Amino acid sequence: MTQKNGFLPVLFLTAVVFVSVVALIATDAITREPIAAARRAAIYRRLQSLFPTMDDFAYDEESGLYTPFSEGDPLGLAFMAYTRGFGGTIAILVGLAADRTLRGIEIVSHRETPGLGARIAEPAFRDLFIGIEIDDIALSRDGGAIDGITAATISVEAVVEGVREAVSARLKHFE
Amino acid sequence: MSNLIAIFFSMALINNLVLVNFLGLCPFFGVSKKLSSAFSMGVAVLLVMLVASAVTWPIFHMLLEPHGMEFMRTVIFILVIASLVQIIEMTIKRTNLTLYNALGIYLPLITTNCAILGVAFINIDKTYGFLESLVAALGAGAGFTLVLIIMSGIRERLDLADTPQAFMGTPISLIVATLLGLAFLGFGGMI
Amino acid sequence: MRSLKKNFSRGIVRANPIFILLLGLCPALAVSTSLDNAVGMTGAFTFVLLAANIIVSLLREQIPDRVRIPVFIVIIATLVTIVDLMLQGFVPVLSESLGMFIPLIVVNCIILARAEAFASKNGMIDSIADAVGIGVGFGLAMLSISLVRQLFGTGSLDLFGRHLFTIPPLADNPVVFFLLPMGAFFVVGILLALFRWMGVSRSE
Repeated sequence: MTQKNGFLPVLFLTAVVFVSVVALIATDAITREPIAAARRAAIYRRLQSLFPTMDDFAYDEESGLYTPFSEGDPLGLAFMAYTRGFGGTIAILVGLAADRTLRGIEIVSHRETPGLGARIAEPAFRDLFIGIEIDDIALSRDGGAIDGITAATISVEAVVEGVREAVSARLKHFE
Repeated sequence: MSNLIAIFFSMALINNLVLVNFLGLCPFFGVSKKLSSAFSMGVAVLLVMLVASAVTWPIFHMLLEPHGMEFMRTVIFILVIASLVQIIEMTIKRTNLTLYNALGIYLPLITTNCAILGVAFINIDKTYGFLESLVAALGAGAGFTLVLIIMSGIRERLDLADTPQAFMGTPISLIVATLLGLAFLGFGGMI
Repeated sequence: MRSLKKNFSRGIVRANPIFILLLGLCPALAVSTSLDNAVGMTGAFTFVLLAANIIVSLLREQIPDRVRIPVFIVIIATLVTIVDLMLQGFVPVLSESLGMFIPLIVVNCIILARAEAFASKNGMIDSIADAVGIGVGFGLAMLSISLVRQLFGTGSLDLFGRHLFTIPPLADNPVVFFLLPMGAFFVVGILLALFRWMGVSRSE
């Protein structure tokens, strides 16, 4: 490498940045479609575990509501609920059937402790939400339908609270 | 307001940069041998983190996002951070020589410190607003400084302890970090 | 030929990036919870290191000395973004579990250090050997850390959906500590001490 002064270094750096931008725009053009498809597929999988008969879904950006369809008929609604757990935000996908019962929940992301709070993501806990009435979204000690998990009280309370608040906020869409 | 306080403590204690997110480990082990240098490093990181968050947030949300250029964020952010570090270094050198003597040698190291870029990414990924980003950066920097100081305090005493040969230096520091992390686990659920 | 072998083997043991140089610890600790993550991270890391070493060694006569560090940074950041976008599009599962640590490869000190200390002074073939050697060293370190963490943390070993084996008593009562962030510090600390004790690396 030789020591040169003047504009050459600046020009060289500009050229490198230019090549970099071109390379990235090309990569973006190749990957844009697959990335969008991969994101949609991930949402599709999660919705399908709540609505097994689903074959298509629509998303309304303004209200944040997902509407799953089976052969063109809407099956209910799904939406995200965010709540603060033990280690950070817990993101939950909530499924609501047309008859105002829950179709279940999916834990999309969480930072709870493995083996303790993280058990909220296991089917044994998630399945407790399937088929219950909206009014029953509470811990069993408060007269609801959800049994807690030992040593995971904060995480469990956060999920129950988050789901209940999100559901009651969305109820108006059913009227 | 309560949201901002929650973000501050979440970044500083519960999701501590070093102990939980594994960001900024190089300075954590490299510059934690002495209390005085640990404090200077912490302040330098805090300062750069705050400025970097204040600059990268508008760049992403006002320049890249409206034009569908989100994929350029890694390249742009790292260049911006590298230039910022240079500017901050020059400014401090001109205006406050005492501060420069204390922080000077740590500033260039910060460019390749994943904590700065990591916090800039966290602000974007968590869709924080501008003010929230600043508070998050402040919390992250404060948490980083805190564990760096605690760590250096322990390591100064560790030098006098009878450590097995194989554990001397970095291995025992890693074990100390383990215990420190377990202690910080107690902050979980605080908010 | 001998120098090629030397350049290749340096990164594996004598200058192992993680266990000897203690560089790039952040990804090593953060994503070493499972073997899948370790393999994915090693792949992404080695690709960036290899491509950066090749490009820098080819351009080493042309790059003006004054702007060499910014040029290196732009090259590395571009490569990292390409890997990031490709993973998001074609291996979304891996991209999700590695998360932020893919774009953060850009500030991994090893890559910039190799560009500056090796590739900018050596030819392409030697730079390739250097990059592959360091990649293998990084991979071995990642695999050994994640092997311990996954085995003790879950009681069984899986690789890309294929079940390898289970230790029944451990699977019933897994030592969750190993999956916690602190577990990573512990495992690396113990492994580091173990290698020193065995004489693979020197004590301080």
